[in-house]
Amino acid sequence: MKFRAIILYTLRESLAKKTFMGFFVITTIVHLLFIFALNVDIVSGGQAAISLFGKDMPEALEMEKLMQGFKIMMSALAVLMLTGGIFLAIFATGSLVPNMLEKGSVDLILSRPIPRWQLLLGRYIGAVGLVAINVAYMTVGVWLIISLKIGLWHWPFLLSGVIIVIAFASLYAIMTFVGVTVRNSGVSMMAAWFVMFFSPLLLERDKIYALLSKKVYQWLLDGIYYIVPRTAELGKMTGEMVAGKPIVDWSPLVQSLLVGASFLAAAAFIFHKKDF
Amino acid sequence: MNIVEVHNAVKHFNRGRIRALNDVSLAVPKGSAFGLLGPNGAGKTTLVKMLLGILYPTSGSATLFGQSISQPTVRDKVGYLPENHRYPDFLKGNEVLDYYGQFSAVPKESRQKRAPELLKLVGMEKWGTTKIKKYSKGMMQRLGLAVALMNDPELLFLDEPTDGVDPIGRKEIRDFIQQLKTQGKTIFINSHLLSEVELVCDSVAIMNKGKLVVQGRVDQLTASGHSYRVQTGTISPDVLITLKSKFANLEASNSHLQVTVQDYAELNSLIDQLRKHQIELQAVLPHRRTLEESFFAAIQGAASGDFNEMNIPADKL
Repeated sequence: MKFRAIILYTLRESLAKKTFMGFFVITTIVHLLFIFALNVDIVSGGQAAISLFGKDMPEALEMEKLMQGFKIMMSALAVLMLTGGIFLAIFATGSLVPNMLEKGSVDLILSRPIPRWQLLLGRYIGAVGLVAINVAYMTVGVWLIISLKIGLWHWPFLLSGVIIVIAFASLYAIMTFVGVTVRNSGVSMMAAWFVMFFSPLLLERDKIYALLSKKVYQWLLDGIYYIVPRTAELGKMTGEMVAGKPIVDWSPLVQSLLVGASFLAAAAFIFHKKDF
Repeated sequence: MNIVEVHNAVKHFNRGRIRALNDVSLAVPKGSAFGLLGPNGAGKTTLVKMLLGILYPTSGSATLFGQSISQPTVRDKVGYLPENHRYPDFLKGNEVLDYYGQFSAVPKESRQKRAPELLKLVGMEKWGTTKIKKYSKGMMQRLGLAVALMNDPELLFLDEPTDGVDPIGRKEIRDFIQQLKTQGKTIFINSHLLSEVELVCDSVAIMNKGKLVVQGRVDQLTASGHSYRVQTGTISPDVLITLKSKFANLEASNSHLQVTVQDYAELNSLIDQLRKHQIELQAVLPHRRTLEESFFAAIQGAASGDFNEMNIPADKL
């Protein structure tokens, strides 16, 4: 009951925040854009006309080519949603853990008969849960609009929502860790954005090696690569998944989950030991 | 039975540079109202936070209800009103009560029953459906008191309970604490307001610089030995000189004498002298110090290193 209460309280707090409303409004605007801007007519298996934002596409395509193009479009859209969705989710949830630890609030919550690890886990699950709801609204909404307008039901697109939530969950574990350690929402958000935007560089680190003066920097880059969630590769994986390509390497997903779990465990340990 | 026991608690911050608690031991018996006093930075809040699991002792131990404070379940029947508390301002009064009730595993039926009852008890029955960001400081304090009582606690920690409350509200809170005492609840009050503590507490402890300098029952701490105020009719200067020559610790004021005697025999001797000189005897009252006087005596005594005389063993409280 107490654990459930922490989760519900986190959801309630998140809903009261304007940042989450902002996330919801932006998602709704994206939906509206797709409703009004995308216009496709399919006649006898071929494309009669397609327009986006009122501009006609140059030529009609065969169904096979159309499908291929459609998958590429959906794949690009999924990657875009992953990047944009996580960016907004970090912004919306950044203050949840530091807020709980603020003077005046932390005393009230820690004096309750709840183990500290449950407090933190409840907070984490509440935040990830609400992001999952928002991401589901975004993904399913876009998928429904496109499917209804084009008449093609591309189910793999829905998997992008799952990957977005997993990627966010691993980043939010880092945010929770930083939040518990420094009790500052700005630093907590910066840590997540840093990992997110540094990730593509780490993916291409073999091209950077040549620029490095010492071998130790190469080891450092390798080290960082293996201790942070691989969000860039998760984006790539999402694109391939939605495009219908087989996934040969699941390690980005596994590593991101493991890194997330490790950061969360470390955050719980520090929270358990810390004086407030 | 002691509800709260602290044994040789030590708390250091900044790797020992700040010694917030220095070998503190105390006990609070069941059903009593206990006041913890001390100047700012004495370590009072640190001690309460330690008892509530908000921070950990560097060494020493403590129990609530006979169980170690390291177990979260020990706080099942504990209520807490912290100083400068901050409830989430997006919630309404009754929502705050409901959430904090859930955090203490209060069943839904009890929460629905107790929330309006408690709001009424603290004089906030009309404000339950208003967002707390519209509350004044005094209202927040009343709400905090209601939240602290939501789980029907057997032990209540109140840190500056009348802070920000107007005089009428203070009186109401004092009456309310008395009412809780009659229900058999144990109350642990941290306060700077000595007069208020004196009015509601049975026993007190005074802390200074992380040390417990005095602890005992309020009547013991405010007693001044064999010091009496003797109210009389007019005393002529000659008689007064005679009395002063026989009683060294005698001071005269407008209509009374203040005297400290060795024993009752000496007091009776003074009364005999007054009767002998045909001075009207109106009243003989044992003189009591205020808690404030005891507080300053303890703090000054602690500074000079002489502060153990008033310590009363925990089992005698």
